[in-house]
Amino acid sequence: MIRALDIYITSMKNSFAARMAYRADFFFCCIMIFISELLFPLLTMLIYSTGGTFPGWNLAEVMVLQGVFMLSKGAANLLFFGVVYNTLSRVREGTYDLLMIKPVSTLYISVASGFEPDSIGTVLGGLLVIAYSLGKLSQPNAMQWLRFALIFFLSVLVMFAFAVLMAATVFKWVGNSRIYEIFDNITAFGNYPRSIFSKSFQNIISFIIPVGIIAFYPASALLGKDISGILPSICICVIFLLGSLALWKFMLSRYTSAGG
Amino acid sequence: MGIININELKKVYTTYERGSSFLDTVKSLFVRKPIDIEALKGITLNIEEGELLGFLGPNGAGKSTTLKILTGVLYPTSGKVDVMGYTPWKQRKAYVSRIGAVFGQKSQLIWDIPPLDSFEMNRAIYGIPSQDYRRRLDEMTQMLSLENIIRKPTRQLSLGERMKCEFIMAMLHAPRIVFLDEPTIGLDVIAKEKIRDFILEQNKRGVTFILTTHDLGDVEQLARRVVVVNYGEIVFDDTVDSLRKLSGIKKRVELATKKELPDLSGMPGVQLTGRTSPCHAELELDMEQLELNMFLQNINQNYVISDLTMSDPPIESVIKELYTQKERQPVTL
Repeated sequence: MIRALDIYITSMKNSFAARMAYRADFFFCCIMIFISELLFPLLTMLIYSTGGTFPGWNLAEVMVLQGVFMLSKGAANLLFFGVVYNTLSRVREGTYDLLMIKPVSTLYISVASGFEPDSIGTVLGGLLVIAYSLGKLSQPNAMQWLRFALIFFLSVLVMFAFAVLMAATVFKWVGNSRIYEIFDNITAFGNYPRSIFSKSFQNIISFIIPVGIIAFYPASALLGKDISGILPSICICVIFLLGSLALWKFMLSRYTSAGG
Repeated sequence: MGIININELKKVYTTYERGSSFLDTVKSLFVRKPIDIEALKGITLNIEEGELLGFLGPNGAGKSTTLKILTGVLYPTSGKVDVMGYTPWKQRKAYVSRIGAVFGQKSQLIWDIPPLDSFEMNRAIYGIPSQDYRRRLDEMTQMLSLENIIRKPTRQLSLGERMKCEFIMAMLHAPRIVFLDEPTIGLDVIAKEKIRDFILEQNKRGVTFILTTHDLGDVEQLARRVVVVNYGEIVFDDTVDSLRKLSGIKKRVELATKKELPDLSGMPGVQLTGRTSPCHAELELDMEQLELNMFLQNINQNYVISDLTMSDPPIESVIKELYTQKERQPVTL
């Protein structure tokens, strides 16, 4: 465990050092990411300013939900989502071999060496949106914060499962550069309260692809809303995570490397 | 029982025929014809601890596939491999902590930061105790004259400096076996010499090296034993001296005469390889077709030899012959 932490921290330091070699680009990327991530909250403000609403949610509550979504996505991008691009480029170039000759789990080393400092902009954006919106609502109590923390952990786990699932597919579908877009389109539904979708679609994002757990449930817990339907979603989360890890193992065994 | 024992190792890849024309490309969107490629056809090989083995073969012969199986990167189709008591692809994590690898065309260094930071990453990955790490790093940087280099960003280093750093990356954890895949590719003579000295020094200390290269200078100066693979099979397995003796039936002759020499290539067993002036010729003589003393006597009587140099053909020509022979039987001496 100490060694695993040592590897992750050393890799994190190296990623920061490598990124700092191009400081102007780093700051520019952080700002651009921050601005682009504010698109959903701004759209929501536009909808509410024209008289539209999401049933059962006021503007500040929806903003909290979207802030939680940004925070979860930002944390995922910062901590482990680099595994997708890392695997994608290394498999295509044949340099994944270099990770396979290291005496640690290939998934772990792929995750650790995929730390992406640029995503700090998304994390800061998420925190800012949550703080600003909570300022307009009654403050959550300690129990609400605790529930939020636990469910937010699950949210990050779902993001991790998505990352592993996508990274696993690139062993077979080498050069699948559209994979991020597929992910963005699927998870974009997590930016809105479940109540705006039809019952059948709510079931899909709760029990098939657990998008609801990314932001809807953590935000609901923080706002003191009803989360009684969360238990099946948690089970799906765990299955989703185990399924993605099994797929990773299977796809890794089919890795063929690249020419001599 | 050696440190590496390979028995009947086979690897078959499935790839797809795509064709080259536009029509073929469109067709391949819907139908692809699978093709099985037999990269290794049953290799059997034993390597003793402390050996420095040259593993040669033309492009696509199966060298890299063998190395990838031996480093635990690829699963074979069939066959047995035992390296230090491990099956590489089954006990990968435990096994790879005891081996190192340098790939001349794949860098382990992080481009934008100093090699020292990349070494630090390997310290964490291999769990090297800080004292050992410091001691080995100091020792290797001194041996490779890298003391002032390892703190500069990798992208500012020369190819030779980067390659030396790759060796440190591969050997910080004190591996028992090191796989080298074209470690001197593109390097100048000084850098090559430094790296070769380093390999020899580490080999003296008991590290086993498996060296894959197209640079026969590496083989001649480093390896004692040479294995040549071609078409997925071993076509030669013996010492470097034995490899040279394969060319024993041929001699290179450089002749200078007082009288003008005619075109000697018409003579049986004589091949003209160079002609710089009418009285000077470079020849390759096949001793199976020609008596050397008769040939020289004949030339001396008719053209008067003023200077003569004789040598064995370079190792390149032997290797070239091995590479170009299709589906040949293994060479034994």
